[in-house]
Order: sequence, then C-alpha cells, then structure tokens
Amino acid sequence: MKKLAIGVSVLITLALMVWGYYQAIYVAPNDAKQGELFRIFYYHVPSASVAFAFFAVSLVGSIGYLASRHAHAGRAQVFDAWALAGAEVGVVFCTVVLITGPIWGRRAWGMWWTWDARLTTTLVLWLIYVSYLLLRRFAEGSQMQTVAAVLNIFGALDVPIVYFSTHFQKVIPTQHPAPVFGGEADSGMDPSMLGAFLWNMLAWFAWGALILALRYRVERQQQKITAAEAQRALEA
Amino acid sequence: MKKLANGLIVAVPLALLAWTAHLILSAPAADWNQNPTAAELDAAAALRDHLYMQAAYTITWAIQLGYLAWLYMKWQAQKG
Repeated sequence: MKKLAIGVSVLITLALMVWGYYQAIYVAPNDAKQGELFRIFYYHVPSASVAFAFFAVSLVGSIGYLASRHAHAGRAQVFDAWALAGAEVGVVFCTVVLITGPIWGRRAWGMWWTWDARLTTTLVLWLIYVSYLLLRRFAEGSQMQTVAAVLNIFGALDVPIVYFSTHFQKVIPTQHPAPVFGGEADSGMDPSMLGAFLWNMLAWFAWGALILALRYRVERQQQKITAAEAQRALEA
Repeated sequence: MKKLANGLIVAVPLALLAWTAHLILSAPAADWNQNPTAAELDAAAALRDHLYMQAAYTITWAIQLGYLAWLYMKWQAQKG
C-alpha cells in the first residue's frame, strides 16, 4: 500500500512536470519585451519559491530540535532530520535560481552578474546554508546539531531580506524586477501567462516535496545507522 | 545491469551540463555580421533568446537530476 502511494505520487509529479513544461513552452505566449527569453521565468521563480519554503521547513525543524532536545530525544532527531533535509533541498533550488538568473540577466541586462540588493542577498543566503551543510558534514561532537540549529535560525533571517530587497528601489537601487505578485502597484501577470506559471509552481512544489521526503528518509536511516554503531561501540 | 543504471544516473546530469555549455557557447556573437539588416539583427536576437532559454531549462534539470543521483547513491550505500 505504501509502495503504491509512493508510485502514484511519483507518477503525478512527473505528469505535472511534463504538463508544466508544455504550458511554459507551447501554451504561454512570448513576452512583449523579452520575447522567448521570458520563459526562463517559469523555472526561475518557482525554484526561488520552493527554496524559500524549504528553508522555512528547515527553520521549523531547527526550532523544534532546540525546543525538544532535552525532553524528547527521539522527537528532536525527527526535527533535526527535517532541518537538514529542508536546508539541503533548499540549497539545490537556490542553486538553480543563482544559475538560471545570470543566464537570464546576460541576455536581458547584458551582464551575467551585478552586485545589486536582490542578487547579493540571495548569494549570501546560499552561502549561509552551504556553510550550515558544511558544518553538518565536517563538525563532530555532541554540540554539533545545536550549533547547526542556531546557525540555521540566523540563516533564515535572510529569507525576508531577500524577498523585500526589491521593495526599496529608491533607497537601494536594484536591477532585479520587483516581485510579480504583491510587488509594486502595477505588479501582476497577464492572464495568458498565469496558467503556465501556476502549473509550473505546482509541478516544482510537487517535485521538491518528493525530493524532500526522500532526503528525510535517507537522513532518518543514517541516524539509525549512527545510533546502532554507537551502541555497538559501547558494548564492545 | 545495475552498473549500467548507476552509470546512466551519473552520466545524464553531466551530459545535460555539457549541453548547457554548448547552448551558451553556440549563441551567435554580437559581431557575427559587420553589416546586418534589421531582419538579421532580429533573427540573431531571437536565436540567442531561444538558446539561453534552453540553457536555463537544461541546467535546471542537470542540477535536479545530479542531486537525485547523489541521493540515490547515498541511499544505495546505506543499504550496502
């Protein structure tokens, strides 16, 4: 039954990915100013949204770990696994954003990179979470998970800074456009493009959730292996 | 058979990465024609847009499938 549920969710996700691609390439019209180049939007923006959502999952996991590490050791490990999975999959999506963005910028602005507010804060966000993952990978000792959880909470503070970095164009000039939804007064999308965007949003969230669940399972398994090894070492 | 599958899992993201580089590098240069007509300029710009858009889509899948391949190998190592 469990295998069937996994199989069905994989099939639904793959169908959504194919449908999202079809909508982005064949259904949505070319942008009036940017032409075909604008179709990068249908992968770039959903990837950023998924990254933010998974950094939020990671934040909740880290807070949960810190809150329960003394009273409920088992539950704390579950929270910690979510924190790690959220951060790692979030970094994957953030990497997509940081690479597809410059490809888009090269054609739209004539340059690969500029140190404006949105790009710089996104790079800083990526660096913070990569440092979190490196800490998790290379640090040892009983305090490692606690230190990592604290770093994660500080890292998450950068997420709203990234989002709002384009809201203060008069204070901090930025090349990056304001958010399409909830941005400036004239923000929004043409209805002919909205469908493609929403389908790709749904598809990438489904894909991300699948990868996140898989990463969580692998981490839980790793925790069990590590606990069993520690137990064997104690008994020897 | 399993080795072939493992090889493919690693090879596909790498091939996509190489394809992305090819798409970017094969875009026509700005000085491809010394005396272009307006139509030729438009055609070159449209071709560049198309190649860059394809490159962005391809690298997205290279990263996603590359991560999935790494996750699969980690999972296999745990089983072993």
